[in-house]
Amino acid sequence: MILWAVLALILPLGHPARAADLDAFPDLDPNNPAALQEATRVLEEELKLAAKPRAYLVVDLAAMTIRIKDRGLDLYRIPIAAQRGSMYEQMTGVFRIAARPPVVRRKVDPSATTDQEPISLADMPSSYRLSMTPPLSLTVMPTVGEAPLEWIWSRGTHWWRQVKGWIKSIISGSSSPVEPDLQLTLSQDQAQSLAWSLVDGMPLVIRRSTDNR
Amino acid sequence: MIQTIRFVLAAVVGLLAATLPHSSPIALSVAAVFEDAPDPESPAARTLQYRYKTLAKQLAQLAPAQPYIVVDTARNHLYIRRHDEVLLDAIASTGSGTILDKPGTGKDQWVFDTPRGEFVVQSKLTNPVWVKPDWAFIEEGLVVPKNQAERMESGVLGDYALGFGKGYFIHGTLYTRLLGKNVTHGCIRLNDQDLKSVYQLTRVGTPIMIF
Repeated sequence: MILWAVLALILPLGHPARAADLDAFPDLDPNNPAALQEATRVLEEELKLAAKPRAYLVVDLAAMTIRIKDRGLDLYRIPIAAQRGSMYEQMTGVFRIAARPPVVRRKVDPSATTDQEPISLADMPSSYRLSMTPPLSLTVMPTVGEAPLEWIWSRGTHWWRQVKGWIKSIISGSSSPVEPDLQLTLSQDQAQSLAWSLVDGMPLVIRRSTDNR
Repeated sequence: MIQTIRFVLAAVVGLLAATLPHSSPIALSVAAVFEDAPDPESPAARTLQYRYKTLAKQLAQLAPAQPYIVVDTARNHLYIRRHDEVLLDAIASTGSGTILDKPGTGKDQWVFDTPRGEFVVQSKLTNPVWVKPDWAFIEEGLVVPKNQAERMESGVLGDYALGFGKGYFIHGTLYTRLLGKNVTHGCIRLNDQDLKSVYQLTRVGTPIMIF
């Protein structure tokens, strides 16, 4: 910290960066130390990921956006309609997606005489749960207006899973048995789009909001 | 019957869950997570601002300085960008995601996905000739030829092809009506004009980011 303070005083900014370069989080209020602290932590994580040739996700709860990124560049942005979660204090560091949502693939039949349908975004699930390493449960669900039954099912199974976790922790007597949990509500097509873009082992960082939403 | 009961139960639980505040016994409030943040007027806050700007600048410097290709396989678009500027937005066709059994191998299959991740242009070809792989014959119910010459097919890949490894190419197509759809065996198809632009705007080593 002292080193950074000294550097801040004696060093001018090196070669000039474009204004856009410094807009890593355009919504960031630089006068909000908590938000700045969180953005800085995320940037530290991102720097490690962006140094490698692979895509990663930034789940930006402050800007309510999921960003698919590579080399620090935004490849695609998915708006988050709503979010809920627990154990935010443990949502730091890099998480890796254990497995992408399952895809039902069609098999090519060489004896078929007509063209076979390829898979498309519409074949992807809009309600799914992703497990991560280290443990984090990320549930994606569509908005209630677009898919009410799927939304109810998703909320129900999620709540039931939590109840089971609490019961298990009470029985075993462990103090911190439940993994951090994040539920993201996306529009149906964006939930499907996210499912499409995920790959096994994909890294993910979370920028937490400093507001109580 | 069991499915119906399960669904009704889940629905009831879901409605209940929706009305309850979301918290677990050990959850901290969001505000509590950030209670160690420095005072806005303190030197520590100014140091933090400097650190943030430095990191943002370092991150920006990891982006390619030259034009790069971005392929959106979900929406079947290929972009050429320089920094945040879009130089080309082309409708493409990418992998169909279908599978084909490899004959006589039990469980082995070909999966016709466009690979995701970061690649680079490894080769730039003009007037490419397609060397038909085994699957091209098998999916049509044909016998795989033993003579290599019988695999050659010219005029189907367009005027240019850009290889990005493991037999995957960005190339042209005769089936322009299928652009915008996931129909390929993993390659990325473009119309003639867009293919020419991609050929002209890129070089060997140009990054290709596919998601």
